[in-house]
Amino acid sequence: MISIRQLEFSYSPSARPVLKGIDLEIPENALFGLLGPNGAGKTTLLSILAGLIPCPAGCLFVDGRDMSEADNRSAARLSLVPQEYAFYLPLTVRENLTFFAGVQGVPKAEMDARIHEAAGQTGLEERLDSRAGKLSGGLKRRLNLAIGLLNRPRLLLLDEPTVGIDPHSRHFILETIRQLGRNGTTVIYTSHYMEEVEELCDQIAIMDHGQILRNGTLTELLAEAPQSVRGRQSTLESLFLDLTTRGLRD
Amino acid sequence: MGVMKALIRKELLLLLRDPHGLLLLFVMPAVFVLIMTFALQNQYAMSSDVHLDFYLLSEHDSGLSRAFARDLANTSPLNRVPTEAGWEEMQALAQADEVKFLVRIKPGFDELLIQRKPAVEVLFAPGTSPVFASVAEGRVMELLNRLYLRYRLASMPGVQSSLEAQGEDLMEARSLYDDSGAMPSSVQQNVPAWLLFAMFFIAVPLSTTLINERQQGTLLRLRSMGIGPVKLLAGKVVPYFVVNLVQVVVLFLIGLYLIPLLGGDTLTLGAHPEGLILVSVAASLAAVSYALLVAQITSTIEQATIVSGVFNIIMAALGGVMVPSFLMPETMQQIGSFSPMAWGLNGFFDILLRNGTVTDTLPEVGALLGFTALMLCLTVWRYRRRAAEHG
Repeated sequence: MISIRQLEFSYSPSARPVLKGIDLEIPENALFGLLGPNGAGKTTLLSILAGLIPCPAGCLFVDGRDMSEADNRSAARLSLVPQEYAFYLPLTVRENLTFFAGVQGVPKAEMDARIHEAAGQTGLEERLDSRAGKLSGGLKRRLNLAIGLLNRPRLLLLDEPTVGIDPHSRHFILETIRQLGRNGTTVIYTSHYMEEVEELCDQIAIMDHGQILRNGTLTELLAEAPQSVRGRQSTLESLFLDLTTRGLRD
Repeated sequence: MGVMKALIRKELLLLLRDPHGLLLLFVMPAVFVLIMTFALQNQYAMSSDVHLDFYLLSEHDSGLSRAFARDLANTSPLNRVPTEAGWEEMQALAQADEVKFLVRIKPGFDELLIQRKPAVEVLFAPGTSPVFASVAEGRVMELLNRLYLRYRLASMPGVQSSLEAQGEDLMEARSLYDDSGAMPSSVQQNVPAWLLFAMFFIAVPLSTTLINERQQGTLLRLRSMGIGPVKLLAGKVVPYFVVNLVQVVVLFLIGLYLIPLLGGDTLTLGAHPEGLILVSVAASLAAVSYALLVAQITSTIEQATIVSGVFNIIMAALGGVMVPSFLMPETMQQIGSFSPMAWGLNGFFDILLRNGTVTDTLPEVGALLGFTALMLCLTVWRYRRRAAEHG
């Protein structure tokens, strides 16, 4: 269980706050969707969860342990999968997996097993000796995800893991994430694809201007969604647009 | 330790997969050493291979003029080329670079010499280097002075016999370079010079990797895995330090074995080659810290390549890599003394040329370590500032 309590954050004392009093409870094994327009504060929230930005004491707890303490953080076994292809294109899939397993302290005796496990989960067994730079967009996304699975995470932070890939690869990745949830991994998932979040996540939060605007199950959120102007069924997208206003953000 | 091993292995693999980086770090300096060593060989050593060919036209026939013509022909490294050509034709041949210079013994040579008036005309071919021209001029002047003295003192009793002694007999010349009297050769200058140039060029692959990591989110991912700035920094410093040492070994092997094999002089390591290790280590630390700063102050690979390239070339030009410092005017030498490459080069010269000991290299090693400390401080400052700006 992840508890975020009254989390406030700004990049400098004089800057405007990026996060304003965030309160969230994310149950264990949940597939949690985090939605928000660009500049809403999602990346900052993910960065704090991933330990990239130090969080103030008493604001972030995983299984009751305060994540402001380094020892608790390493025990939490979390893993971040960034939106970019965060690996080395000149190296092979195996070399990338070996490197990231190595820096996470995977023992040598376990190394091969972990690499094959992560490659197996993401369907990369046949491509272990291919150069990462030569892989298709979909395979690169799968490698990005495979690296995030090397430490057998209990909490997986996914930042738009299906951007720019074909439907087959997207389906495969979503199925892999669903499987991870079934196997006990808590997943926090950000995406601009509303239908993906609808399909995948059992709890969803919509945030904007550094605040959580709505939080609940898909059914709970849809109950609040306005009827589409075209007379279609209420959707997550219409609720999202309604809550975050329809103006362009970029 | 496992983390460091993984970081170092990754960095070396990335470099091995980067043909441009390898070209820059190993092929470029090796080619430069070979080309510059052979190209400048004659500028450094007036060896028996160097001949300054000249034509001589005598328009005066006397004992003195014949003695002058004979002695000039026997003066090293001058080489009189026999010809029947007249003065005009000789000039045309010199213009066509057949010889380096022309000497004309003027009519009335004896009288002109005794009256201390120009008795000889010397014309240089357009392609003759200033170094060779000054050598030739010096030899001609020396001979004329000797003949003048011989003539003036010839009538004095008791002097005649001593005047017969050759100039070389009256002078003992030797070089402090080594006991055999040999002079330092082109290879002694070019191997350490281009080695330092190449060492500082690690800024290109190192900053490229770091900027790629920053842009592709890899750095972010590594930080989320608990890899702090110190480990990340060490993960860059150690492998590129190793790469620098490999460069040292490769270029010294070229100087020791390849250049002599191709007909050049052999690199000699001096009496205390252990000093080379100390200078190499200090130069490498300076180069790696400089590369880290370049990676921190630039945002794109293009910027990093331009910044490191421009600064490297300026440091090399000022530091005596491209043009030896002793050929520069005093002011330029003083400006050049601020270049880290000049410190490294002087450190190497302490051992390779001056037969110095480890102690002799300490001022240069200290300067390089000071530069390293400054670069690291600026890198950390920039890193923190960037982290505060971008999270």
